[in-house]
Amino acid sequence: MLLIAGTVPVADFPLTYGAVSRDGDDLVVAGQSLACTQGTGAMVSAALAVTDYLKLSPPQALLAGDIGQGQGSRVLYEYLIERISKLAPEVLALHYWLPDMNLTRRLCAALEKCPRRPLLIADAASMYSAKAAGLALQFDIFTPDAAEAAFLADPAATHPAYVRFMTYNDTERMPELIKTIHAQKNDAKLMLVKGATDYVARGGEIIAAINEPDVPLMEPIGGTGDTITGMVAGFTAAGLAPHEAAIIAARANRMAGYLAQVTPATRVGRVIAQLPAVFKQYLCQWSGVCTTGGVE
Amino acid sequence: MSLLKRAKNTTEFGGLVLFEEVQAAMAAERALKKAGYTVRLVAPPPELRRGCDLAVAINLVEQPGIERRLREADVAYVEVRPLAGDSPEILEIVRVTDYGDWVMVKAANMKLTYEKATGKIVNTSGGGCPDIPYLHAAMLDKPVAEAPRPRDLGYTLCALMLERAHEEAIALTEGGEA
Repeated sequence: MLLIAGTVPVADFPLTYGAVSRDGDDLVVAGQSLACTQGTGAMVSAALAVTDYLKLSPPQALLAGDIGQGQGSRVLYEYLIERISKLAPEVLALHYWLPDMNLTRRLCAALEKCPRRPLLIADAASMYSAKAAGLALQFDIFTPDAAEAAFLADPAATHPAYVRFMTYNDTERMPELIKTIHAQKNDAKLMLVKGATDYVARGGEIIAAINEPDVPLMEPIGGTGDTITGMVAGFTAAGLAPHEAAIIAARANRMAGYLAQVTPATRVGRVIAQLPAVFKQYLCQWSGVCTTGGVE
Repeated sequence: MSLLKRAKNTTEFGGLVLFEEVQAAMAAERALKKAGYTVRLVAPPPELRRGCDLAVAINLVEQPGIERRLREADVAYVEVRPLAGDSPEILEIVRVTDYGDWVMVKAANMKLTYEKATGKIVNTSGGGCPDIPYLHAAMLDKPVAEAPRPRDLGYTLCALMLERAHEEAIALTEGGEA
């Protein structure tokens, strides 16, 4: 089972847990509607596109409203800390919530009580607290962008706003940065660094570089990093190895942007809408997953 | 002082609010706790002392919302400092990318893009704090100069970086480079 936990930008959105389904352009979880926009909505939508295409059980989503003050985030942390061993997901994907080092530390301790430790994926805010608390090595996959890679490489920074040497999509410098992140022990077991070239790295060494199709106009679109993380979660839940899931997610995201003929004004929903066509045309070729039902 | 926790525990918080006066630190703790923030009165490490031996430990990511709350509560403070390492300054560098009909402004992990012809914000991206999707929805399709300010609606350092990008976008559009 894939569990995605994250905040929703609606102040009074209640704590909600359940299987994700689609209703037109929106998502529905336990009767609550969720817009497919930048944030948890985009991430969950992309994961659902994967599980729908492979005819697997849909992701479970744990959601709470939070517009930045942290109350909803803390409700999510506490819910997971208390119940994660009973929920027992195979994959747990975290992204949007208020980074909190103490609560992240408690969550990692709670994960140790799971019958089988879930594969743990983090992007952005969840990655910030993991790194700041010195817990990066407990995570299986991080999906930073270039600026977040610079943050992971800076041993002193507790947030990208405090990075001393910022990197803005400096593709040539990224391999060196990935080595630095590993030397600082701030990398997860697998890294997917998103950028003009997407790098998949393990132990500081790059094992794949994806740069085709080249769609530079995707960078301004809010949510196109969320979709990658959502797909990584979906493909790992389907049984692909983390590095395979990362490579396919990066390729599929680019191809969806290409097919959507994006401009900087495109909304992420239009990119997500292309994913079924991308999977139909390329998934077998890229992954060897040529039938539905996941990977044996 | 018995109410003080040991400063070594404050690294779990990431940042300190520093004060000139003990009373101000205590007033700040009350105001922030009342607003729902998890904070703690602590003794600051010697190198961060500013004439008062009492500071408030905060989750550094919440710095913008906390500073706004202190201003609203009329509590005087000296500054907010990160606890880790020797890089206390918030990033000021922004980068501008011209896409022809659109301009993207990046500040750290945050990006704001506007259309030159209309001056309207067409996308924001980056970050992962909970106020970012909220700001995304609030700012889209608004003229750059009229859009809600992340400094007013946001609570986190991600919002502060989006504010930096927004400030630059305002300067660019007002400077006739839109």
